[in-house]
Amino acid sequence: MKRQSKGLKNMNKMFRISLMAISLVLISCEIPENLNDNPNEITVSDVDANLFLNGAQLANVIVQVSHLNRISAMFSGQLIGYTSLYSNIYGYSLSTVESNGEWNSAYVGVVANTRHIMASAPDDKLLVGIAQILEAHAISSLAILMGDVPFSEVVSDKEAPKFDSQKAALDGCDALLSDGITTLSGATTRSESYDIYYGGDKDKWIAAAYTLKARIALIKKDYATALSHAGSGISSSAGDMMYKPRGDAATPNGDKNLYWEILNGSRTGDLGNAKEGNRSYLVDLLDPAHSSYRGNAKTNEEARYGYYSIDENSSSGNTGVVEQFEAQPMVTYTENQLIKAEASARTAGFSAGLGALNSYRAWLAGGGRLNSNYNDATKYKYDAYVDEDFATDGMENPDGASTTDALLREIIEERYVSGFGTYMPFNDHRRLRGASETNLIPPFPLNTSAASQHVERMPWSQDEITSNSTVSDDPGLYAKTEVNK
Amino acid sequence: MSKNLRITFLFSIVFGFLNAQSTIEGSVTDNDGNPLAGANVVVDGTSVGAASGSDGTYQISIPSGTVEGQTVTLVTSYIGYKSQSASVDVPSSGSVTQNFTLNVDAIGLQAISVTALGFETNRDQQGSTSSSINSGDMTRSGESLMANSLAAKASNVIVNPSAGDPGASTSIKIRGANTISGSNQPLIIVDGMPINNSTTYGGGNNITGGRTGGATSQSRINDINANDIASVEVLKGASAAALWGSRAANGVVVIKTKDGSSAGKMKMTYKRTESFDEVHERLPMQDTFGQGRSGKWGTQAESWGDKIADRTGGADVVDTSKPYFVSEDGTFTQYTITEKNSKDTYVNTNWNSVFQTGRFSQDDFQVSGGDATKTYLFSYGRLRQDGIIRDSFYDRDNFRLNTKFKLSDQVTMTSKAGYTYSNSNRIQQSSNTAGLLLGLLRTAPDFDNTHYKGTYVSGGTEYTGRHRAYRRYLGGSSTNPIYNNPIWTIKEQKSTTGLNRLIMSNEMNYTPKEGTDVVVRAGIDTYTDNRDWFFPIGSAGARNSGVFAQDVITNKETNYDVIGRHNISLSEALSMVATLGYNWNDRTYSRTSYNITGFLVNTDKQTVNVNTAAENSTVDNSRLFIRSTRTYGLLSVDAMNMVYLNLSGALEDHSTISKSYFYPAMDVAVQLTDYVPAPFTFAKARFAWGQVGVRPSAHRFQTLAESGFGYSSYSDPVDVALFGGGYRVDDDKGNESLKPEVKTETEFGFDFRMLDDRFSFGLTSYSNEIVDMLISVSKAPSTGSDTQYANAAKMENKGLELDGSFKLNQNVDFTFNWATNKNKVLALTEGTSVLTLVGGSVSSVAVDPTFNGTAQPLGALYGTGSQVDENGKFILDANGFPQITSLPVILGDPNPDWRGTFGVNGKWNGVSVNALFEHSQGGDYSPRTQWVLRRFGTTAETANEVTLTEDLVNVDGNTVAAGTTVRGSVHDFGGGKVLLDEAWYRHGIGGGFGDNQAYNFAVKDATFSRLRELSVAYDLVHPMISSMGLSSVTMRWTGRNLWASYKELVGIDPAVNQSGVSSGFGLDYFTNPSTKSYLFSLTANF
Repeated sequence: MKRQSKGLKNMNKMFRISLMAISLVLISCEIPENLNDNPNEITVSDVDANLFLNGAQLANVIVQVSHLNRISAMFSGQLIGYTSLYSNIYGYSLSTVESNGEWNSAYVGVVANTRHIMASAPDDKLLVGIAQILEAHAISSLAILMGDVPFSEVVSDKEAPKFDSQKAALDGCDALLSDGITTLSGATTRSESYDIYYGGDKDKWIAAAYTLKARIALIKKDYATALSHAGSGISSSAGDMMYKPRGDAATPNGDKNLYWEILNGSRTGDLGNAKEGNRSYLVDLLDPAHSSYRGNAKTNEEARYGYYSIDENSSSGNTGVVEQFEAQPMVTYTENQLIKAEASARTAGFSAGLGALNSYRAWLAGGGRLNSNYNDATKYKYDAYVDEDFATDGMENPDGASTTDALLREIIEERYVSGFGTYMPFNDHRRLRGASETNLIPPFPLNTSAASQHVERMPWSQDEITSNSTVSDDPGLYAKTEVNK
Repeated sequence: MSKNLRITFLFSIVFGFLNAQSTIEGSVTDNDGNPLAGANVVVDGTSVGAASGSDGTYQISIPSGTVEGQTVTLVTSYIGYKSQSASVDVPSSGSVTQNFTLNVDAIGLQAISVTALGFETNRDQQGSTSSSINSGDMTRSGESLMANSLAAKASNVIVNPSAGDPGASTSIKIRGANTISGSNQPLIIVDGMPINNSTTYGGGNNITGGRTGGATSQSRINDINANDIASVEVLKGASAAALWGSRAANGVVVIKTKDGSSAGKMKMTYKRTESFDEVHERLPMQDTFGQGRSGKWGTQAESWGDKIADRTGGADVVDTSKPYFVSEDGTFTQYTITEKNSKDTYVNTNWNSVFQTGRFSQDDFQVSGGDATKTYLFSYGRLRQDGIIRDSFYDRDNFRLNTKFKLSDQVTMTSKAGYTYSNSNRIQQSSNTAGLLLGLLRTAPDFDNTHYKGTYVSGGTEYTGRHRAYRRYLGGSSTNPIYNNPIWTIKEQKSTTGLNRLIMSNEMNYTPKEGTDVVVRAGIDTYTDNRDWFFPIGSAGARNSGVFAQDVITNKETNYDVIGRHNISLSEALSMVATLGYNWNDRTYSRTSYNITGFLVNTDKQTVNVNTAAENSTVDNSRLFIRSTRTYGLLSVDAMNMVYLNLSGALEDHSTISKSYFYPAMDVAVQLTDYVPAPFTFAKARFAWGQVGVRPSAHRFQTLAESGFGYSSYSDPVDVALFGGGYRVDDDKGNESLKPEVKTETEFGFDFRMLDDRFSFGLTSYSNEIVDMLISVSKAPSTGSDTQYANAAKMENKGLELDGSFKLNQNVDFTFNWATNKNKVLALTEGTSVLTLVGGSVSSVAVDPTFNGTAQPLGALYGTGSQVDENGKFILDANGFPQITSLPVILGDPNPDWRGTFGVNGKWNGVSVNALFEHSQGGDYSPRTQWVLRRFGTTAETANEVTLTEDLVNVDGNTVAAGTTVRGSVHDFGGGKVLLDEAWYRHGIGGGFGDNQAYNFAVKDATFSRLRELSVAYDLVHPMISSMGLSSVTMRWTGRNLWASYKELVGIDPAVNQSGVSSGFGLDYFTNPSTKSYLFSLTANF
């Protein structure tokens, strides 16, 4: 009995000790602060800021040269949607869903990441400057296309960022471009492989920023300012901001010309411009055999006709503008020089305008943007125009318009042709219609007989409309945006 | 009160010894001689009595001057047993012995219920709802998978095996859906330890097919051997489960494994079960029409070809100069067919080449025993199962050792450990061109699948190892057969999974003094699951260049509880038990996956060396860490032996939530027996209220740097990986303020017994609302994010449950239950009107009430339907056919209106018979296998022929003249008779291939009735038995799912679910079929 009770005592003691031990273990095993940190993915702060750049630039590629760009070309007599979705869109059935890709790419793909770059590497002036310009490029593009867009409250703590007026958004982007230029002025160029546009060349970025500022001024019809900015803009095609496909031919998707990717995939046959019997106005304009041909004694467009013609049924058959590795223009010498041409013709006089146009034609005469498959000098000619060509009965003025209007008309037509692949033709058309300068615009027809007017804007994104409580219904395709009213 | 008494009597005993007065002593045991500890023995009409000790003995000291020398009635009572009384002559001094052997009370046994913390309690004093399932009920149906045995055993507990594959997962749903994005499966507690019951689909690669198009996955609950289970308690209500906080929203299943008996002798049991399994439902197929289209034989995908009976018969005309196929063994050559003459059909041959009578053998060996200070139970279970699909198997070995040591009067130590090894091969299924039924059921009736592999010869070139299937009857130069030949699916592809699992739970119970005890529990549940996936070169689809993949999944859960309980007796009429506990739980999960694609060598060897080029292999891993602590308290009050109140609360801290959350609960039971008239013998009213939750998934606080992303606006992707890699700020925004989903449930009910407790029933009504439900919320892109995992949605459930039993006489009793649950999604969130749970041409979704104006249940079926006007009539096209809606609409509700079961149990002279019927009323099911096969023209419903009595128009607008005999049928959609022919099924909207079909016709009423179990057992009584050293031998014959009747469904058991254990349900798409079984078992007790 005694022994047992001693055993019992030991047992209780043992038990108490173990109980205490367990309690101590448990209390010391509280939940560590960082236990819920994700063990599988990299923390944002662990990644160098430059590694966020190429993703943001790819997102901007989508904003600039993807679906909406092709749609804008369909609304500008440049492309035709033959079947499936694109034939509906071509017939002006465009839902807000079609803007989701560009919209998400701009805000989630570009701005969220440019903001992160600015915040995480504030002292890296090269990265910050690039980020500022990239962001302004993406958002100003949407503002030009759609009118009012969110800008001042985006990627902030606001759950429903407000929509700024088109002008306010463009002014904001313009100011951001100025900031970018200032920032980059204090930066040093370095080799930056994650800058897939310019490889870290600050001067090219600054020039592109000026061209973008010139673009914004032009959109606002502030031609003097446009001319002034264009003076510091991209001065040669070496400074073009392009989406440059890469990789090997065997990998068809992910890094190739975006138009080519479409034709190579399940959308073969959906859209193009040169299908016999159903060609776009642009192609007719360039076809030496067509009655609308724009060539003349000083101009031979045969090479561009070939280069711009798209075989909608084939990826491999396309060796021109939508060839697998063909670069796609975003902000270019072409745009800058033709802003100069138009703005100087309007503000500095006929001669200045003609001079600017002729220097652009001189570049075209050197091959311009033609690729090696089409760079056959016998098939193109861009001789310099002289004053007389725009005088009444001159080769560019058969209908007796004023010489300045005749020159402007030629400049706008050149912008229309050279701007293929960018938003320029769509933007010019709306701008000039808004300014009642319909005499200056290429007379491409409406796509359907049922339509009575040209499209004035691209729709907001469905995703934004359903998730942002500050947004009202989309105003539709035919509501003029603020700058074009 | 009993404890109160016990203390009093303990004192009496002590004083009794001191005063050497007269005593009554003896033992209380059950029928098997096991001592019953804690039984009350009272001298009737007095407060004199005692409680039996752990060895079952009791001793009552009679206070002097009371009843010495008199004859008294001694009454003993024990929870779950029938009370007994005996007349005892109390001596004037000295002692008298009175032993009691108590019989189990059939109804009374149901009176014990187990609480969330694993303690036993008296159901008659319980205010919350739970259902008990005893060990006999768990093993009677003889399922190889333990969870399937829970089917139809309790109201509102819907148990569905996701397919009939051996080892396939089981969905257990209690009181409907209680979460949208979390797991909808209940928490499983085994011997006080929460265990993992996940169902992991796919792996780190889409190549394995994932949830809706791979192989069936297993439910980890089924690692437990049903024969080891002593009892299962299903805690349905929030208040019952609340102490488990954020893990209890779907209810809690508390499982206790068996203990050894302390009767002092060793018992051995051996049980052998043999099961024969058949395919439960088979879609009727046609063999009237051959492969082809438009009534002509051809090698197209469909069987809308010529009428086989009209062929000339004899051998097909072939052109031996054209390409041909030679089977692997060289015994069969197929030349290019130029004229199809053969009338042979192969529907059954093809079926039987992949299906068989499944079979399993299970051996269970158990040794148990013990004495007053120790008990032990060792068991070994060995299952070897071959599935109804050839080459599928599931083998499982279970070892268990449960011991209990009474170290002293104050300390008891229990240790329960179970080890499981399982190994299985699963067959690819569902939406999967390399799956079984897809290839089999699309096969044309006039194509023989037998020779599935061989050499294709064309122009002298030999292509070896080619896969021959009905769409490539010569094999071909390409390695892609488009659809697998089903024999290839079972013979050449492998999806194996090997599991090693240990679940161990230890408990120390310390009783420093009577009425106070401390329980310390420590447990671990750890497993490793190795999965191999092998698709040789020539498997259909994206895998045709060969895939070898492996996933190694490890999971570990550690759990500690320290629980203190103290009895407080304030007066005769008021006593309470206070419980205070602390729980610490830690879980880690890790998966490492790799896959090798594009084999360089055409081999069936499963090795990484099939391709050593670096770019052909990928590695992927994922880890999860989850930890929680919980401090909880429970106060149980017993007032006047009539009102029983429980108040509880758990304060939980969880690594996946931003701040701790408190889960309160209360329940009250009021016994009203004294206030109800005869024939009622018991009445109780109860009310319960409580909160339970669902924790957020792990690692969602931070916004991370995402890699491997790309952008595309319309079929024009750019991929960052091809531009030097790089990162972006994840478009799925982190959320640092995550809270648990919280379900608040109120329930009330009544329990009655009447006719001497022979008839008993309980009625429960409950309603709950679940707020802060976690879903992926669509963000305005201008915020910089696309989605965020957030507390946004809201849902409710309302239901009614009825459980009851009736004991007709000593031999026959009946049980029944009935339940209904109505679920409604009250809100999703702005920008997210439809949330897809399982996608497909018919999806299972959650929708916001704004989607179509009324709240829909979770899981609603969704897809394109037919346009209808305000009266619900079809808006017909010019030809009188319906037109599809431009956008998907709600097509149906997969939740049943109600479900009920009825069981009967009879016993005569050693023979016992059990039958269990189940009926499920209403609800919808989409049999998409049947639907898509309308396009393929292989099912019996497509083989109908009709001779037109009038000119009729088909869906293409073509008129078919009267008198023509057409393959099809005549139908009226409301605009007059039209002809449903090949055009309707194959390229109209009446088939089911892809989107944009009239899927309103593909949603059927899922009402069914079935005989779940029928078993006959016989206890062998023969002198031989005891002479062989056996104490008893029982033989049992069981039939499972022998009979079923469906209101609208044909050839499909609606238990089958394409997405397995999932919040989305009610869908089938070439999912492997369920089974019906015949079992025979023999149990010998030594």
